[in-house]
Amino acid sequence: METIWLYQFRLIVIGDSTVGKSCLIRRFTEGRFAQVSDPTVGVDFFSRLVEIEPGKRIKLQIWDTAGQERFRSITRAYYRNSVGGLLLFDITNRRSFQNVHNWLEEARSHVQPHSIVFLLVGHKCDLEAQRQVTQHEAEKLAGAYGMRYVETSARDAINVEKAFVDLTREIFELVRSGDIQIQDGWEGVKSGFVPNMVHSSEEVTKGSRQCFC
Amino acid sequence: MASQVATPTSLQTPTTSSSTSLSSPALSPSSPAQLSPDDVELLAKLEEQNRLLETDSKSLRSMNGSRRNSGSSLVSSSSASSNLSHLEEDTWILWGRIVNEWEEVRKKKEKQLKDLVRKGIPHHFRAIVWQLLCNAQNMPIKDQYSELLKMTSPCEKLIRRDIARTYPEHEFFKEKDSLGQEVLFNVMKAYSLVDREVGYCQGSAFIVGLLLMQMPEEEAFCVFVKLMQDYRLRELFKPSMAELGLCMYQFESMIQEQLPELHMHFQAQSFHTSMYASSWFLTIFLTSYPLPVATRIFDIFMCEGLEIVFRVGLAILQMNQAELIQLDMEGMLQHFQKVIPHQFDSGPDKVIQAAYQVKYNAKKMKKLEKEYTTIKTKEMEEQVEIKRLRTENRLLKQRIDTLEKESASLADRLIQGQVTRAQEAEENYLVKRELATVKQQSEEATAQLERARKTIRQLQQQPQAKGPPRFSEESVLQLEKELVQARLKEAESHCALKEMQDKILDMEKRNSSLPDDTNVARLQEELIGVKLREAEALTGLKELRQQVRDLEEHWQRHLARTASRWKDSPKKNTLSELQDELMSVRLREAEVQAELRETRQRLLEMETQNQIHSNQLRRAEQESHCLQERVKMLTTQNKDLNVQLQEIKRRQAEIECKSKEEVMAVRLREADNIAAMAELQQQISELEIQKEEGKVQGQLNHTDSSQYIRDLKDQISELKQEICCLKGQKGLVSQPSFDGIHIVNHYMGVGESYQSSDDDGAKDPDLQSLQPRSGGRIRLRAKLEDTDSDEDDGDALRLSVPQSKSTTV
Repeated sequence: METIWLYQFRLIVIGDSTVGKSCLIRRFTEGRFAQVSDPTVGVDFFSRLVEIEPGKRIKLQIWDTAGQERFRSITRAYYRNSVGGLLLFDITNRRSFQNVHNWLEEARSHVQPHSIVFLLVGHKCDLEAQRQVTQHEAEKLAGAYGMRYVETSARDAINVEKAFVDLTREIFELVRSGDIQIQDGWEGVKSGFVPNMVHSSEEVTKGSRQCFC
Repeated sequence: MASQVATPTSLQTPTTSSSTSLSSPALSPSSPAQLSPDDVELLAKLEEQNRLLETDSKSLRSMNGSRRNSGSSLVSSSSASSNLSHLEEDTWILWGRIVNEWEEVRKKKEKQLKDLVRKGIPHHFRAIVWQLLCNAQNMPIKDQYSELLKMTSPCEKLIRRDIARTYPEHEFFKEKDSLGQEVLFNVMKAYSLVDREVGYCQGSAFIVGLLLMQMPEEEAFCVFVKLMQDYRLRELFKPSMAELGLCMYQFESMIQEQLPELHMHFQAQSFHTSMYASSWFLTIFLTSYPLPVATRIFDIFMCEGLEIVFRVGLAILQMNQAELIQLDMEGMLQHFQKVIPHQFDSGPDKVIQAAYQVKYNAKKMKKLEKEYTTIKTKEMEEQVEIKRLRTENRLLKQRIDTLEKESASLADRLIQGQVTRAQEAEENYLVKRELATVKQQSEEATAQLERARKTIRQLQQQPQAKGPPRFSEESVLQLEKELVQARLKEAESHCALKEMQDKILDMEKRNSSLPDDTNVARLQEELIGVKLREAEALTGLKELRQQVRDLEEHWQRHLARTASRWKDSPKKNTLSELQDELMSVRLREAEVQAELRETRQRLLEMETQNQIHSNQLRRAEQESHCLQERVKMLTTQNKDLNVQLQEIKRRQAEIECKSKEEVMAVRLREADNIAAMAELQQQISELEIQKEEGKVQGQLNHTDSSQYIRDLKDQISELKQEICCLKGQKGLVSQPSFDGIHIVNHYMGVGESYQSSDDDGAKDPDLQSLQPRSGGRIRLRAKLEDTDSDEDDGDALRLSVPQSKSTTV
């Protein structure tokens, strides 16, 4: 089956170490929850197709980054070519919420002259008993930064699709209205191909890989 | 290799043979030459245990037990009762010898050692061999280990969270709170305390975990410390991770050199080295490959260092080159994630062999290191410079904002000043117009005055009793009045004229002060200064633009060169590249300086405008002050004049009142006189009636009648005199009040007429001549109310019967 997508968006997932970035992405791209998995050393890569409206498919390329601060020297090279980002914090870890500001500064300073559309995500919302960050204050912070807020849980598969699809929709609207433009040499947004054109490599690999349309 | 070892038949012979073949005596603490039967038994037991361990390699505790003795010479030849194959036996024996003769082998048979290591260290020997390879025995830090465990490290929390995620599939580390996790935590914590700079880095746990699978905590700790210090790992894990960047750089240049097609493909797909190779260097393939393969590579790593990572990495790329070239970035990443880890499940020998086909030039690596550091320092400097320029830019923009605000407020004030000036100009204009009209009025008044004077002179020159003197007197009085009024008006208009002239003088003074010569000169100077500054700025701008253009050309050339960079060998163009990069940096610098200059220029302009505006404002304020004072003066003068006017009006009113009173008094007197006259008239009529009666009686009484008649006539004449007197007064009253002259004349005229007119025959000519006068008088009398002497114009004094009619009062 041919996969035809309108656009390809490159997203980056950032946040403190152990907030659950890899888990969230794995839940989204592979549909499974791994209780334990290796800590991300450097960067990891995932991809998946989403259908934001019937007949409109967007391919998402997702970079999973290491959260430890010293890995920033590696990960900051990936901001520039990303059009969207999920800024994760752990609702049971107050520190990770306080560091959201730092992550945003980091991203903004390394993405110029482009800009990234961010979504603030409060992860591990299934652990309600150990919550250290209220939904209200997170929404306030998100509003102050001009981004939306979603609470997710990879374990219970709460809002995982919603988070990615919402962000994709937001970016799609901006691309459609012209606020974000496809540029040569910028990998953030790529235009999809028509069935007649043959991209042999893409088809060969895609046919066997994730096809969630 | 097997040929070196004699076939073992007993335990003793190999050991003795090995010992005798040695030249250096002091190798092991316990000399194997002194084997006693007890030792043999011990050895046998050990072999048993080893066998068990071989089958149950997961149990570290028993390993601990055995490994604790690994520091001492371990007799590796357990072939007598082992399940090992022939080949393995040989290797075991070989390794045993190597371990025993470590120093010697290390110094003299290095190459052979290397080859052996490449073939793989038997699992059994790993612990000891690894420790030997990195000289981790008898480290002083080992003794500190227990102390370190008691301390708390700032990285504890971080380590705790990562422990559960390290080798999560591996049985040793799987369970939460398992021994594996505990020892892993201990070693990581101890290391974070020993090396505060590195602390704890994600990824290092994998290496420690691997070590812990082979040996107990303290030894793993020591080996790890050695690895970090001597094998460049410390640099890799430092917070800056600069070494990792260097490794990427070096690896990339190796790819470019040895797999140019693949390199170009990577470039075309924007497939960066760090996307796949970071974990290779940080975890020595432990997260990329299954343990058996990774452990083999780690063996070589222990022996030869980080070089193996480069070699194996390149070998992997080489082996997968064909597939990778066909894939795009995403495909390649998935290839790395899914395909490559299982490529060597059959055995790592292939990749290791390929690794040793790879060219690795240590000198070149050094050179690349230098290149990399220069590039990095340049980048850092540029970053610092850019930050500094950005803050400067921001500050200048703030200053511009404040100056613009100031300038706007000054412009507002200036406009207000100009508006007030315009208003005052209007007032000025109105005042001038008033002045003109007043001048005109005063001229007219003077003209009238001239005419009046002329008429007066004319009247004065004419003879006095020209017409009715009363008439001329009246007119003279009128003229005098008019003269007084005209003089008054003239005085007023003179005053007004004077004031207007003063005003005009002031205005003219002010107007003349406005376009002051000195001010004009100053303005011109300012203008010249501003223009000069502008010219300077323009020249500066031109220069900068020229610079920018030059640098742009260089930059273009540089770009052209870099486009072909990947094709040329890096060696040739390094110098020129560096120069080009230098130029590019200069270019950026120049651009930023140009921006800076522009902002400064704007600043200067704003300041000059500021000055000009403040000057103008000052002048406008001065003018407004003067005009306000003038206005005040005029209003006070106006008030004074009004006051004077009111006083004059009051006086006039008083005079009018007085004249009215006099008129009233005269009228009253007149009324009284008329009343008296009426009474007298009545008496006269009565007397005349009596006279008639007398006459009749006289006729009857002829004798006494004449005397009686004379008496009567005398009475009558007296009465008539009285009447005449009264008439005279009456006549006087009927004249206008001011005619004092006429009174005398009338009185005389009346006196003459009082001759009896009853003598019918004796009508004096005087009387007759007086008749018209009396008639005139009677005529006058006719004016009075009480008498109706209309019919009796000339016959008032005749006591005829018809008079009786007239005396009906």
